[in-house]
Amino acid sequence: MDFKPSPERQILFDTLKKYFENEYSLSDRNIAAHSDLGYSKKAWEAMRDLGILESLIDPELDGFGGTALDISTVFEALGRGLVVEPFLEVGILAAKVLSKGNDVQKSLVKKILKNECLPILAHSETDTEYSKSFVETKLSVEADGSYKISGSKRMIKHAAEATHFLVSCRNTGDASSEEGISIACIPTDREGIKIDSFATIDGGRVSDLTFTSVSISSEELVGELGMSYSIVSHAIDTGILAICSEALGIMERIKELTLEYLKTRKQFGVPIGKFQAIQHRMAQLLVEIEQARSSVINATIYFDDETEREKTISAAKFSIGKIGTLVAEESIQLHGGMGMTWEYDLGHYAKRLVLIDHEFGDEDFHLQKYISL
Amino acid sequence: MDLNFTKEQENFQIEVRSFLNDNLEPQVVEKVKNGIPITKEDSERWHKKLNEKGWLAGTWPKQYGGQEWDVVEKFIFEEECGSAGAPRIVPFGVGMLAPVLMKFGSQEQRDYWLPRMLTGEDWWCQGYSEPGSGSDLASLKTSAVRDGDHYIVNGQKTWTTFAQHANMIFCLVRTSNEGKPQEGISFILIDMNSPGIEVRPIITLDGSHEVNEIFFSDVKVPAKNLVGEENKGWTYAKYLLTHERTGNANVAVSKRKIQKLKKLADDAKKNEQPLSNDPMFASRLAQIEIDLQNLEITNLRTLASVENGEAPGAESSIIKILGSEIEQDIDNLTRKSLGKRAFVNEPDALSAGYNGAEVFPKAAAYASGKYFNHRKKSIYAGSNEIQKNIISKLMLNL
Repeated sequence: MDFKPSPERQILFDTLKKYFENEYSLSDRNIAAHSDLGYSKKAWEAMRDLGILESLIDPELDGFGGTALDISTVFEALGRGLVVEPFLEVGILAAKVLSKGNDVQKSLVKKILKNECLPILAHSETDTEYSKSFVETKLSVEADGSYKISGSKRMIKHAAEATHFLVSCRNTGDASSEEGISIACIPTDREGIKIDSFATIDGGRVSDLTFTSVSISSEELVGELGMSYSIVSHAIDTGILAICSEALGIMERIKELTLEYLKTRKQFGVPIGKFQAIQHRMAQLLVEIEQARSSVINATIYFDDETEREKTISAAKFSIGKIGTLVAEESIQLHGGMGMTWEYDLGHYAKRLVLIDHEFGDEDFHLQKYISL
Repeated sequence: MDLNFTKEQENFQIEVRSFLNDNLEPQVVEKVKNGIPITKEDSERWHKKLNEKGWLAGTWPKQYGGQEWDVVEKFIFEEECGSAGAPRIVPFGVGMLAPVLMKFGSQEQRDYWLPRMLTGEDWWCQGYSEPGSGSDLASLKTSAVRDGDHYIVNGQKTWTTFAQHANMIFCLVRTSNEGKPQEGISFILIDMNSPGIEVRPIITLDGSHEVNEIFFSDVKVPAKNLVGEENKGWTYAKYLLTHERTGNANVAVSKRKIQKLKKLADDAKKNEQPLSNDPMFASRLAQIEIDLQNLEITNLRTLASVENGEAPGAESSIIKILGSEIEQDIDNLTRKSLGKRAFVNEPDALSAGYNGAEVFPKAAAYASGKYFNHRKKSIYAGSNEIQKNIISKLMLNL
């Protein structure tokens, strides 16, 4: 038995950690995260030069990673850095979908690595529906054999700057049926697409998208007509593993910040960490964070096991949702007024950690899913 | 990352499984699986079988009759025992006193006491807590005053598990009032049949008799029964506590209990449906399952680090907190799953000689009793609050 990452992955993690500590200033990050673009193009390009995207992508598509362990390692580091740039949206969700496509679509993955495109998966449709198979956006077949897409997508992150949308849509089946789902890969300047963008609480921008009779050709489908649920499902599962790992990195950083504060902040003449009421809350956080890490390790181990993947992923997402919210709330409380300020780092980590529970299904959703599997 | 056992470890697992299959007594297993207390005789027969195989003290050195199991082999053995519903080995001799004697005792003490633990000639109990010294153990007052070849012991111990079965007790006693309280404590072995010892039962809230109080009035103890040096007992006691706190994850036992609970919930009805279909129940159960699955990995991570040569530190405190809380959660939900049947308390229902009405389901015989009895789990072996103090000090450096 050995739970240590391989030396190569440890080096990757340490390199990224050091890079974020030295080169990715949180105050610059916060300005970019709440700007009109929602992230920094300069930081994005600098991090691409570092090879972060390659480490998320399979070797046959010009990357040098892409396994569950690679993704978990990198996203834990991204979490520590509170990186707002679109690694999840582009490097995981879009890249995983495109890797199942035709040669043209696969070549888009290679173009991501060269900074020549920014594809974004447009899948989620309602604010409170987390089911991976929920798709109402309609795909209709025209008389000449071409297709049209009509419908709307909700809360798509980093969509405004995208070059391509990967739009899930259906030609048959009920709204939640796994049968009948297709994905179309189309340029974002195609006629009939409306984009409404919003600022977010945790940084980055989100958009609601409306598709009105948008024309697509059969070559623009990713996978077979009506058969693409498994592609979306696998991409989202990978996304869940990624943000659970991101949450771990955030929790570790919050732990460091909070411990440092407990050792330096003095009241009644002593560091507040000397008070047992504080110590026990902090010890409980440590216990919970170790359990969260174990849940992510478990999901990583079983990620390529088709029968166990969804169950361990749901267990991890549930654990991260429950524990993440606890860690965010407790760490703010332990910081007192300092935890409430924009200027101090903690609050920004806490916001991201809580909002991770709103992505790909919250703790209640995944507990129900776990029960059903 | 590699979670697999080695080929040798796998073979050992198979060997343990088949031994348990061939040697466990079905009626004892039924008691264990239904959470019903076993008798002293049940324990003694099981210890005897394990000793014949050489597995009663598997972690001991070979020269004393052990197998020199490493942490993973110990883990495999305990997990297999947990799954199979084997009685737990009574730990006070082989698991607690023995490591202290091997590290700090004289050769004469080792040669005399260790073999007797294996044969069952001695049944040990542990004299640590006192009425005024629980979590603040170092404040203990029971005194031992040297008088020629003997110590004269006066005072009181409490919460002494199985003192009613024991013929020997290892005690922490005060031999000095100089300096810090920790610096005046000695570790001594006392014959329970000595004149001046009185054992009184403490009946716990579930009606069972596990723990006792012991009164010492001018008890004469041979000076050769002192372990190590006078006034160094605190060091030995801390060493013992680290042994006591390992193996508290109880993952296999908890898994077995969850399987039992699922069966109960399938058979019970709520709203004319199996209780297991009730969303509130299913939610409570799933949360426990996920916590346990996470604990299993947390525990394996700790084992792997010990296996790879790192010292176990406050990680055992994390596992003690989680293991105890999860087991309590299972006992809680088991009680709930029984509905009105949870009023029943017939802990002897599976014992020979019981002639009352048959209890059904069998688990109801002691489910509420077990639930109340297991409140002890977050109190004993260093309360969970003490574990948090340890985590704060050793891991958080607060």
